[in-house]
Amino acid sequence: MLADRPQFEDLYRAYLGRIYAYVRAQVHSSADAEDITAQVFMNAYQAYSRFEARNTTPAAWLFRIARNATLDHFRAHGRRERLRRTIEHQPMAEADPAAEAEDRIQYKALLVRVAQLPERQRDAISLRHSGLSFEEVGALLKCSEDAAKMLYHRALKAMKEAVAKESV
Amino acid sequence: MSDQDEELQLAALQRQLDDAFATTRPRSGFEDELWTRMQAKRPAGTRLRDAWLGLVQGIRAVPAVPTAAVAAVLVVVIGAGVLTMSGIGRMRGASTTSAPAGTQFSRGAEDSAIGKGAFGKLPAPALNPGSPTRWSDGTAPAPSSAMTAPGLDYTGPVTLTWAGKFELTIPSAPVFRYREPSTNTADQFATSLGAILQSRPSGYLGSYETRDFNIRVRGTVQSPGREPIYTLLAIAAVPPVVSAGGPPDVATVFLAEHSLFPSWPYTTVELAQGDQMKVMFLRQFAVPGYGNAYAINSAGERAGLDVDLKGNTPLGAVGPLPLELESAPYSIISSAEAVRSALASSPAPAGSASVPAVTLTDAELVYALVVAGNHSFYEPAVLFSGKFTLNGNTYIKRVLVPAVDPSQRSS
Repeated sequence: MLADRPQFEDLYRAYLGRIYAYVRAQVHSSADAEDITAQVFMNAYQAYSRFEARNTTPAAWLFRIARNATLDHFRAHGRRERLRRTIEHQPMAEADPAAEAEDRIQYKALLVRVAQLPERQRDAISLRHSGLSFEEVGALLKCSEDAAKMLYHRALKAMKEAVAKESV
Repeated sequence: MSDQDEELQLAALQRQLDDAFATTRPRSGFEDELWTRMQAKRPAGTRLRDAWLGLVQGIRAVPAVPTAAVAAVLVVVIGAGVLTMSGIGRMRGASTTSAPAGTQFSRGAEDSAIGKGAFGKLPAPALNPGSPTRWSDGTAPAPSSAMTAPGLDYTGPVTLTWAGKFELTIPSAPVFRYREPSTNTADQFATSLGAILQSRPSGYLGSYETRDFNIRVRGTVQSPGREPIYTLLAIAAVPPVVSAGGPPDVATVFLAEHSLFPSWPYTTVELAQGDQMKVMFLRQFAVPGYGNAYAINSAGERAGLDVDLKGNTPLGAVGPLPLELESAPYSIISSAEAVRSALASSPAPAGSASVPAVTLTDAELVYALVVAGNHSFYEPAVLFSGKFTLNGNTYIKRVLVPAVDPSQRSS
């Protein structure tokens, strides 16, 4: 029912930053993250009339759209994207001044680390730290709540080990 | 490493991740940019539906509006009551009446009434005969009701007589006031249309663009006095408006689609210009006890919002920037006093026998812009007019008499 749903603009203002952060943790440039985030909210805006609050939370609904948009992005970029990701596993300077500025942000390195995780682990970390419950993460990843917890903890350990290895 | 150490390290990593996700945000301005793009890309049908819904809700919010008046708004102005006006310059004109008096439709122009004479002493309105009779944006002002045949404005001395009929029985009339818009006001207006700021050209509050249109917003012009306006020009091939009606119908749908539907009472006039058509929404102000009074420009011609069409394709529009109006009632002069003032306004110079004699035959209550610093006013005035022939040319003499009681005027 219309009355059950918040105004779309309220949803937009509340979730734009979180969706962007989630997407940013998946891709390797802020420009791509902006493009995908824009696509997410365009899609959500068009589909909002069909959103039913009794079936899911607005957060889970938006993150599902965001996840699909991110996967579409990777599919669309195909080999080019995979090549780029391979290259970016090597430390390299970014020429874009805006990107260089972003590099200085304290936690960007951590998000880069998240982006290098296998897809499901990356999703588990990103969705969980974007504020979703394990139940919602499980629903999005099509697994149980317990499986989502295990996936998340495996991802967390993998990250810790990668960070430790890098600092050696 | 003990399990406890590992747990501590994992907890620390979780906190870092929480911070990383909480502090990663798009660049400044992205949020508003994207929202604007989303608004601009809404399907035309959705925008039209929303516009109509807003329209209907706006009307519902006014309890005194009868159902017939609602219907008068929803059934677009065409057909009934067409008043043919013969030969205005080289143009053909037709006028229709629409929009219930005093009804507020959507955004802007919502007047809030305050106490009598609350704006203090007011500067007096005056015509500026030397001002161009066309907007700088290329839109033509409309003729007043007195102008039923081609005629040139006459600004020289004349001997005036009065042979018309004019009754002004109301003791007071509202004066409207707006605050000079800022760049922020212009930005908000443009954003509401889904436009993005491009630049701030000299003389304008801003220049904006949607996918199809460039929109420029300008503040009040001091001399000749002009209210803040927006100008909308097509910059891409705009799809034709789907409408079974004539130009006023097309213009109305176009304005509704772009959230530009006038919030004030109006009548429409069509002006054919070659293969193009100009639909003019002539602005009115509701005057309790009197009815609606037209807004005039500095040349004394009716003015409002113009939409240029080529067939069913909108080419552009120019109209008053929607601004919040305050209103305050002011005592006004009687019709007899107005006539006396009009006749005294153009005394013939002594000893000049060649001064033309002009008989003023028409008079109406109008609203004229008075520019006054940070606030400007729409003030009631009585516009007298009469035609005469001189050296084979037909001229129109217009006389504007401030309607606000002299005790409430500063000039």
